[in-house]
Amino acid sequence: MSTHLAISAASLAADAPSGATAWLPPPSSTIAPGVDMVFNGINAVCYFFFALIMVLMVYFVVKYRVRKGQAFRSDAPLHHLPLETTWAVVPLLIVVVMFYVGFRDYLNMSTPPKNAYVVKVTAVKWGWSFQYPTGATSDDLYVPAGRPVQLTMRSSDVLHSCYIPDFRVKKDLVPGRYSHLWFQADQPTPSGWGHNLFCTEYCGTGHSNMNRKVHVLPEAEFDAWLVEQGQWLDKIPDEELYFRAGPKIFARCQQCHSLDGTKGIGPSWKGIWARVNGGEGSGEKFADGTTYAGIIGPGKKYATPEDYLRNSILNPGSELVGGYGNAMPSFKGQLNDRAIDAVIGMMQHLDDFDPKTGASLKEAPPAAPLSMK
Amino acid sequence: MTTIDASRPIDLAARPDNYLTHSRGFLSWALTLDHKRIGVMYLVAVLASFLLGGIFALLLRTELLTPGQTIPGVTADVYNQFFTLHGAIMVFLVIIPSIPGALGNFVLPIMLGAKDVAFPRLNLGSFYLWIAGAIFTLLSLAMGGFDTGWTFYTPYSTTTSTGGVIPVLFGVFILGFSSIFTGMNFIVTVHKLRPPGMTWFRMPLFLWAIYATAIIQVLATPVLAITLMLIVVERLVNIGIFDPSMGGDPVLYQHFFWFYSHPAVYIMILPAMGIISELISVHAHRHIFGYRFIALSSIAIAIFSFLVWGHHMFTSGQSPLMNTLFSLISFSVAIPSAVKVFNWLTTLYKGNISLTTPMWYALSFLVLFTIGGLTGLHLATLNTDVHLHDTYFVVAHFHYVMMGSALIGMIGGMHHWWPKMTGRMYSEKLGTAACFVIFIGFNVTFFTQFYLGSQGMPRRYYDYLPEYQVYHVISTIGSYVMALGFVMTAYCLISSLFSGRKAPANPWGGGSLEWQCTSPPPHDNFATQPSVGDCYDFRSLRWDEKEQGYVVDPALAAEAAKHPLH
Repeated sequence: MSTHLAISAASLAADAPSGATAWLPPPSSTIAPGVDMVFNGINAVCYFFFALIMVLMVYFVVKYRVRKGQAFRSDAPLHHLPLETTWAVVPLLIVVVMFYVGFRDYLNMSTPPKNAYVVKVTAVKWGWSFQYPTGATSDDLYVPAGRPVQLTMRSSDVLHSCYIPDFRVKKDLVPGRYSHLWFQADQPTPSGWGHNLFCTEYCGTGHSNMNRKVHVLPEAEFDAWLVEQGQWLDKIPDEELYFRAGPKIFARCQQCHSLDGTKGIGPSWKGIWARVNGGEGSGEKFADGTTYAGIIGPGKKYATPEDYLRNSILNPGSELVGGYGNAMPSFKGQLNDRAIDAVIGMMQHLDDFDPKTGASLKEAPPAAPLSMK
Repeated sequence: MTTIDASRPIDLAARPDNYLTHSRGFLSWALTLDHKRIGVMYLVAVLASFLLGGIFALLLRTELLTPGQTIPGVTADVYNQFFTLHGAIMVFLVIIPSIPGALGNFVLPIMLGAKDVAFPRLNLGSFYLWIAGAIFTLLSLAMGGFDTGWTFYTPYSTTTSTGGVIPVLFGVFILGFSSIFTGMNFIVTVHKLRPPGMTWFRMPLFLWAIYATAIIQVLATPVLAITLMLIVVERLVNIGIFDPSMGGDPVLYQHFFWFYSHPAVYIMILPAMGIISELISVHAHRHIFGYRFIALSSIAIAIFSFLVWGHHMFTSGQSPLMNTLFSLISFSVAIPSAVKVFNWLTTLYKGNISLTTPMWYALSFLVLFTIGGLTGLHLATLNTDVHLHDTYFVVAHFHYVMMGSALIGMIGGMHHWWPKMTGRMYSEKLGTAACFVIFIGFNVTFFTQFYLGSQGMPRRYYDYLPEYQVYHVISTIGSYVMALGFVMTAYCLISSLFSGRKAPANPWGGGSLEWQCTSPPPHDNFATQPSVGDCYDFRSLRWDEKEQGYVVDPALAAEAAKHPLH
């Protein structure tokens, strides 16, 4: 049974995404069939011992049941050294084999090949950023088919964990150090469909919404995507930047910041442009007692409102809006100057956006580049 | 020679007094030094906590009926508090103290033929520490709750803005001392208060299990206590121990935490294994098979439990070498567990099996522990654990062990000793029916989760992809069935207090000393110290219709004496 399943698992690797085995999702990376074979092998051992124990238990209970008042028999053995030694030694041998097959595969899983294509991964509460060697970034993960891919991962705040069930890989992202994970997916994913990528280390409010897709593209298509992805922000004309790029970037801010005044993990953007420009709300106090009007303006800490907003994105802890904790991660290295321009532009023209979703009302949303869902 | 002694007839008329009627009034309970009353107070307190933890379980299962919000008002933050509270209450307030605190306290000294534990005042102190810990835990709810998960992983736990983190850490710290004091007390009691004739290898196996547990409690719990204090220090005065932004190391926390919390798994399961050894042997009226292997496997499990904590951290960034060693050592736990299961199974062979309510619980335990134990293999194996770690597969696995085994063992033990504790028999029909409902509900709830986890559903998720929904719905329905079973159990046991018939001294035909004193036992257990033999020799017992219980038949006893068991 186990070999049968293992063979079907191996053959299924070729035609993902359909055709999961009895227990596991379709194996879609080069290491997945090996994991599945071990999993199904352990299952077979479990089925055997479970059936053995259950059959004996039911048989004994039926056969040796007595009613009240019936005389007791007393011919049962008290102990049996050879038998007891057998059922200590046989499981020992079985688990040693299990350990070995799991270990052999695990060494392979934990050693990225030298020629792997490296993608840098940053996790924050509550989102992922994937950065490619060209400098392009994306929210979903895009990888070339048929080539080992190494994720070099770090976390900006608390523990996260990167888990791609179809690839059978998982690794924690630990703040303060880098961690690695590698896989090779040979089969490109259909257009518009991706493998699930989950966060599996509990990280608070948005933990269950840190799911993204992994798109596997044929090598040539991947290269083209990468070029397009590196340029999409630059290709937008300056005057259209805030309403075309803004909402896509805002998707990452949305977990914590609303546009309609709803209190979230962070303050709402509603009315922000007035606050930082000496208008309504500019007298509101920060946690340290200073006010917007007190720190923004010529000769003050921030000469222009844009300076203040830019610093709030790159060094979010330096001024805390009253009533909010220091929860925002820094977006240094993740948003370039043009992206920050787009965000500030959006804050400036909030009337142009749907207050619930953040979608642009200026025009029908343009066809999104691949990465931005 | 059996432990049940025909020359010590149970004379109810001569002893009108029992521990429940010995003295009256609130203070006679609040300040009691009687291990039996302390055990009963623990039982009430633990069951009340179980109700609270169970309500949180039902709330979170209900919330998971649909992706996104199901119950109005239950946001992701509220849900995170639900699963945290469910875990923390069930682990620290229910399962860890349940068997040693409630059943161990009640039964252990009587099984030893002693009047009390070695340190009765320390025993009462343990109970009040439990109360103090519980108060701090409830206080944390009033101060904003906590959403860290019961594992308190850093740096989330040192940075989360929920206000109840520090109170609950103090609460668990105090509960730790309650556990340590109970453990110390039991170690000394077992060493010093065994009656003449009770050598180590003549102790009831429940005592071996409690003894092994006590060793873990005393050695491991201080590590948890100091670790939790370090989190408090980090939160209060910003000393960087675990938070990397202050120079600390979050993985160090995981090592500290699991160095306690893995042995804690055995603090939870070992006493249940001890109960099962008693239940199967007594209700099969058959000498336990392979006594020494079972006794020594408890000690082996206690030792191994300290060496396997790293298997919780295979994906944490721990080095592959460490992972390999921890995987190898983790498999060693399978051996004593397998020995126990096979020995229990063989104890049914050529037995005289009565299908009583406690026996149904013992059989349920055998099924559920077998599944819980076998699925541990997938998790000890390195490459499959990488896929399954932090998914519902792990949730299902530890519920099979923590709930399906530890808690079912505890409830089985409660049914076993209920007549002794209360002096009343419950309805066996209703008790057995409730056991079946719980068993079915449990499997529907948690077996489904093995599938969910294998399919990649991560744990601690408020929201999930629609393809997982059907399994969540099945699991939630199972949890409702299980809740119904527990309501039936509660009704069965509570109604027995008012309308149950009076319990005989030995309703099941047990051989250890507690079946030799009246039900309920007198205040001082035994007027003179009894002598003991083999507590698993049932040959001299027979069912007595008038007594509605088992009595020693002098003729059978004389016959048994001619053919000593060995």
